[in-house]
Amino acid sequence: MAVASGRLRAPAFAAPTSRFRGRGAQVAGLLALLIVGYLLWKNEWSWPASLTWEELPRKLDDAQEWLLEQRTEGSNPFFAVLDGFRAFADWLVTALLNALEWLTWVGTFAAGTLIVLRFGGWRAALVVFGAFASFALLGLWEESIQTLALMMAAVSISLLIGVPIGVIAGRNERFYRAITPILDAMQIVPAFAYLMPVVIIFSVGPAAAVICTLIYAIPPAVRITALGIRGVTAESVEASQALGATPWQTLFKVQLPLARRQLLLALNQTIMFALSLVVIAGLIGGKGLGDVVTSGLYSNPALAVLAGLAIVIMAIALDRGTAAIADRTDPTRRQLTDEGRKRARNITLGVIGLIALIVLVARALGADAIYPDEFETASTVYDSNIQPTVLGWINDALEYIQDPSTFIFSITDAVGNFILERMLQPVQNLLMDTPWFVVLGCLTAIAYVLSGLRPAVTAFLMLAIIGIIGVWEPAMDTASQVLVATAIAVVIGIAVGIWAAESPRVEKVLRPILDTLQTLPQLVYIIPFIYLMPVSLVPGVVASVLYAIPVVIRLVTAGIRSVPPAPVEAAQAFGASRRQVLAKVKVPLARDSIMLGVNQGIIMVLSVVVIGGLVGSGALGDQVARGLQRNEFGQGVVASLAILALGIALDRVTQGRRPAREGTSRGPLFGGLARRRRQVVQPGGGAV
Amino acid sequence: LKTHRKLWAVLMALTLALFVAACGEEKSDSGDESASAGGKDCGKVVLNEQAWAGSTANTYIAKNVLEDKLGCEVEITKITEIPAFQAMADGKTDAVLEDWQHVDQYKQYIDKAGTVVQGGPLGVEGHIGWFIPKYLMDEHPEFKTWEGLKGKEDIFKTPESGDQGMFLGGDPSYVQKDKELIKALGLNFKFVTAGAEPAQVARWSQAYKQKQPIIFYWYTPQYLNQEYDLAEVKLPPRTDANKDCKDDAKEGGDPEQYKCEYDVTIINKLFSKKFADSGSPAYDMLKKMKLTNEDQELVAKAIAGDKQDPDEAAADWVKDNADKVDAWLQ
Repeated sequence: MAVASGRLRAPAFAAPTSRFRGRGAQVAGLLALLIVGYLLWKNEWSWPASLTWEELPRKLDDAQEWLLEQRTEGSNPFFAVLDGFRAFADWLVTALLNALEWLTWVGTFAAGTLIVLRFGGWRAALVVFGAFASFALLGLWEESIQTLALMMAAVSISLLIGVPIGVIAGRNERFYRAITPILDAMQIVPAFAYLMPVVIIFSVGPAAAVICTLIYAIPPAVRITALGIRGVTAESVEASQALGATPWQTLFKVQLPLARRQLLLALNQTIMFALSLVVIAGLIGGKGLGDVVTSGLYSNPALAVLAGLAIVIMAIALDRGTAAIADRTDPTRRQLTDEGRKRARNITLGVIGLIALIVLVARALGADAIYPDEFETASTVYDSNIQPTVLGWINDALEYIQDPSTFIFSITDAVGNFILERMLQPVQNLLMDTPWFVVLGCLTAIAYVLSGLRPAVTAFLMLAIIGIIGVWEPAMDTASQVLVATAIAVVIGIAVGIWAAESPRVEKVLRPILDTLQTLPQLVYIIPFIYLMPVSLVPGVVASVLYAIPVVIRLVTAGIRSVPPAPVEAAQAFGASRRQVLAKVKVPLARDSIMLGVNQGIIMVLSVVVIGGLVGSGALGDQVARGLQRNEFGQGVVASLAILALGIALDRVTQGRRPAREGTSRGPLFGGLARRRRQVVQPGGGAV
Repeated sequence: LKTHRKLWAVLMALTLALFVAACGEEKSDSGDESASAGGKDCGKVVLNEQAWAGSTANTYIAKNVLEDKLGCEVEITKITEIPAFQAMADGKTDAVLEDWQHVDQYKQYIDKAGTVVQGGPLGVEGHIGWFIPKYLMDEHPEFKTWEGLKGKEDIFKTPESGDQGMFLGGDPSYVQKDKELIKALGLNFKFVTAGAEPAQVARWSQAYKQKQPIIFYWYTPQYLNQEYDLAEVKLPPRTDANKDCKDDAKEGGDPEQYKCEYDVTIINKLFSKKFADSGSPAYDMLKKMKLTNEDQELVAKAIAGDKQDPDEAAADWVKDNADKVDAWLQ
């Protein structure tokens, strides 16, 4: 450490001024220092063994073994409680699946569509109908229903746990601050790291899949609920207290009803997060679409892509369905008379009756014995779907893009090699071969210049931890890939974001594309790229760019849009051209938003690191993947911790000075994770 | 307002009734199934299929025989390798037919806890090594052994490997020691990982189609061996005479002494203890089941290469190999 502090020359720089340009020069200076360090002592100083805690992975392995022994003996009362939970989760998933199957496919189809039609309107109902129809047409009905049941169970348990915690957090600032780091860790530590302990405790099957999903889906539920409760104005709360309401009454009659929109958003986001773990659930007996993706990946990539598409379709249907229902049933929006209320109730009853009727008729006709994509007679089974045809198309496409003699190949090959040789390798060399103390010092100093003292201290500590747990080199490798991917995502994202802000038509076209990119399981959209650019490192980078770009685009668009009209009009009055207005007024004024885009981009890219390990990115992602699959549990956990630490460090370096901009004062790290996706662009949602 | 309350009560009751009905249905359903399975005492067998095509092949062969010859009801789970041990320990899966020697888990689950039992070798032998395309071997016959590679590494140069030759590593989840091997043999290769197997295959098959030189980690049995013409580079033999072969890291191996080929991997069948003790005829059959590398590759190619339905591909093989199958049923 002594050496490191000698290098910590950050305070020697002039205290940061409010002017961005000054800071830019300082950062450039620090980067130059990094390069000087690289040139002077290339490869001479790697992280010293004396500063490494080498036993850590083995200790973690021992802990896992101990867990297994405890579980096998079965005498520990702790496991009895967990067993109870397992039985409950298993039962819940099975019961939901049975209920869906009891409804028969006709009934499920009708129930889904009609309920959304009644509460969400015909547009959303059409989406839901289309989704069900495509599950059947793609020949994935059974798998989709299994995934749906798993989702329903996981989401309801997530809300059952997440909403009460969120309510407490919304009412108690100190509690919220205490749990924020835990929520951050739950979201950034890759599921691969804790898969095996979860399996040891909860065995394989629906329960384990639900648990893994819970870990990922509870944080957004907590965060958005807390945000909603805080959003209730102090006046409303005080008024109810003045009228003599007890705290419980205040909560149930004032705070919760007023936070309704946010609570429904919590539901929506919990569903989206839960769906993104479906593929992981497939690895531990979660069945359904995730299963098809993981097993298809090795023997039938086209099928994996198809199942991935089905997951996206399900995500879009659930998203549109819940959003529409939330919107349509908002009591502040529809002022109903008693008469109207009665009519609405009758319609509801009618819909339920109709569903019941359809179910009964379908069962009477024997629809419960079949799936829509498969008919069975006494002797043969008929497939009534277009799966083989679609698989054929996907296969042709995959074949085409990996054929070296095509036109596409000459482009992708060149682009892939360019990214590798001109971007990845230089940054990699710089971060990995420069003496560790120079890297540590420079990154800390950059954090100080850009974000201030406290973030700099945190960044320093996190980087030190990475070194101490013995993964400095792979972590720097990962960091270089993350930086390159973020740089590409930011450049493209800012350009497209500005374009979308200027043209509503572009934004309209972009929206479904961005939605798809964010919900498509990462494992799935890496498949085309391993064929398209099979140069190791590159597919991982491209996939991270695609995953991060929607957030960047949305933040930039929202930022430019929210520039107040006065300065724009003033500039126009002075005769500024459109381009000048953009470059001299709008972009500078939206700078905070753009910086937030950079910051969020990094976080998104980091969450793809593990998947990158599966397609040749190596480094930390590779170690995490091996942790599960080659039984190097301890090493996998260490690498996951390093990903978390790296995430915090890079977040601090780039978070910028955001003085109390987040009125809700949540922890800066990944406060943004909760505002991924939609609410990123919600004006006035308090999120941006 | 009161009428509304009543209406809601009716609705609630209706929902509850539907739910109860659904649960009741479940029981009668499962009752039907076990009765219609019609096996004397076989009942339900749960096999675990792994992600690769070879495992699909042997799992579906077993499924076909169990269903058609013994009247069992077969369910297939797809749990990834290490968690599959816990699945067997908990009786959620009865059998894993293709296990590539997970020695640590053998210690934990078989020796210590006794919840999983050895089912003997499947007959398929896993062989790992360094492979190059046949056209390259024809051009450079000296690549038949590793010594031939020495000094010619730059033939394998790519943008990723700089001025060294590129060695393409295997799936991170597979057994491998290539980094150490390259170092111990003093070859000027840069070890590059392509990630999971599909990514690695995409990488070398593209080079293959362009007739470019490439050297990579590969193994048999593997259905792609029927599709691509590959040749193996011989590594130093694994004999008692080779004193430089100490490559078991768990037993204090020395990376300087990894100078030998990979050990042949005997592929094991594993059973859940509960299943082994159940006296099911399915257990006897699975215990006797044996396949050769060729058998497995043939069926795997039909499934993964020719996209045949796994059930059909397995049925075809069982029909063509009645004598083998009969021996399992003795």
